[in-house]
Amino acid sequence: MSMVVPVAVVVAYLVLLTFVAVRARAAREFEEFSLAKRALPLALVFGSLAATYVGPGYSIGFVGRGFKSGFLFLGIGLAYALQNILVGLLIAPRLRSLKNCHTLGDAIGQKYDRKCQIVAGIISVGLCAGFSAVMAKAGCVVLNDVFNLPNWSSVAIVVGITALYTTFGGLRASVITDAFQFTAFATLLPVTLLLALVFHLKGGPATFTSQAISATTDGLKATPIIEIVGLVAAFLLGETLIPPYANRALASKTTRVSRNGFILAGIFSAVWFLVMISLGITARSVIPMDIDEDRVLLNLVRSIMPASGYALLLVVLVSVVMSSLDSLLNAGAVAFTQDIVKPFAKLPNGSALNIGRSATIIIAIIASAGAVFVPGIIDGLLICYTIWAPAILPALIIGLWVKHPRPLAGILSMGVGTVVAVMFELIIPYSIGIPAIIPAIALALMAYLLGHSFGSAKKGA
Amino acid sequence: MEIFIIVLVVVGALVAIASGIWVAIALGSAISKDDKKRISAGTKDS
Repeated sequence: MSMVVPVAVVVAYLVLLTFVAVRARAAREFEEFSLAKRALPLALVFGSLAATYVGPGYSIGFVGRGFKSGFLFLGIGLAYALQNILVGLLIAPRLRSLKNCHTLGDAIGQKYDRKCQIVAGIISVGLCAGFSAVMAKAGCVVLNDVFNLPNWSSVAIVVGITALYTTFGGLRASVITDAFQFTAFATLLPVTLLLALVFHLKGGPATFTSQAISATTDGLKATPIIEIVGLVAAFLLGETLIPPYANRALASKTTRVSRNGFILAGIFSAVWFLVMISLGITARSVIPMDIDEDRVLLNLVRSIMPASGYALLLVVLVSVVMSSLDSLLNAGAVAFTQDIVKPFAKLPNGSALNIGRSATIIIAIIASAGAVFVPGIIDGLLICYTIWAPAILPALIIGLWVKHPRPLAGILSMGVGTVVAVMFELIIPYSIGIPAIIPAIALALMAYLLGHSFGSAKKGA
Repeated sequence: MEIFIIVLVVVGALVAIASGIWVAIALGSAISKDDKKRISAGTKDS
């Protein structure tokens, strides 16, 4: 296949993206860099949230899962939709109503104490760097697969361009480019599905239904119940309020926008999973069955579209990766400045902005280097989810609801959650026969209760 | 049953496309508001 069309389409897309990013303007103060002056309207909060969570896993990964196990993963994915709706109803408005709050660490600091804020900040920065490394790896896979570029240059292109506009524009540039990228993939992939259903599905609705039933039955037979429970737990909790989502909750124009943004993003995720799974099911009657899961989408588009369609897919995949990466880089940089540096030094606005920008570049470099060590896209994401949920969620959620939370409970819960998750996920994986996220959350909750029983309330509370 | 499933899938695809268009319109409006602010700030400066 001639490379001229794909290269031209990707270059044109990157030029357009750069134009949009430049229109978003450089941030001139830290408040703008971290929270876009708390002025984001509903459509941008929704688009940016959806663009951030639709990464390679929720696009390429879900199409592959639909191909192999039909609607099984739609059922599991609904746990994610439920999580977003619950966050919108119960947590996002409370988070948004906190004054002078830039990050989750800030929220934890206000509810517990400064030590808890620093610990939450360290966990946030570490997780953002880890997630960014997974995204860098995904970007590398996409460019490498199509252009046969060496790994280092694929990573450099994806991370370099993303870091450039995020460093200067901060959250606003991230949200504006997310909205642009969301528009690209939220229209192009469903159009691909409609084209496949209308022009390439031999046998019509009856074939689609029979393929769906047979794939779902195969999927249910091949997946043990305990694995389904672990996956539902990971989808329900693993990505809850990771730093980029929390930043969007905090940057919303009002508490109502914050709540509705999460609810709409939750509803959209259910629709999105249906579209991705259906693409996978449609592919069963178009491409050979022995194809690797991660290559189903690529092969489907290659089979049913001309060269320009394949280039279009590239644009979609690059969008999917960059829109998640920019949000993670910005969230990590803001958490570093606000939760790790600011508690030790009183920073003027200009210095905070410069530290935030420098941190964006440093996290981008760490992510590029770390991409080499990422085992696989889905595996990498699951490791990050498994650590994030027990490390932060018990302290954050209980802290937002309890009247006088105790700092000892916060520290113990974050410490125990992180250590147990790292131990069962990375050091001795599969040693207990159940997914690590479950014991880690249980022990983090027990540690919280212990700390709450023996600790004293925050001074001045 | 077959028709119901296919209609559900098609409606899902159309909802996703409509969401993309809604966000695109909001993005255009946000950028044009920015432009207006910039022009009015420039006029005040001069």
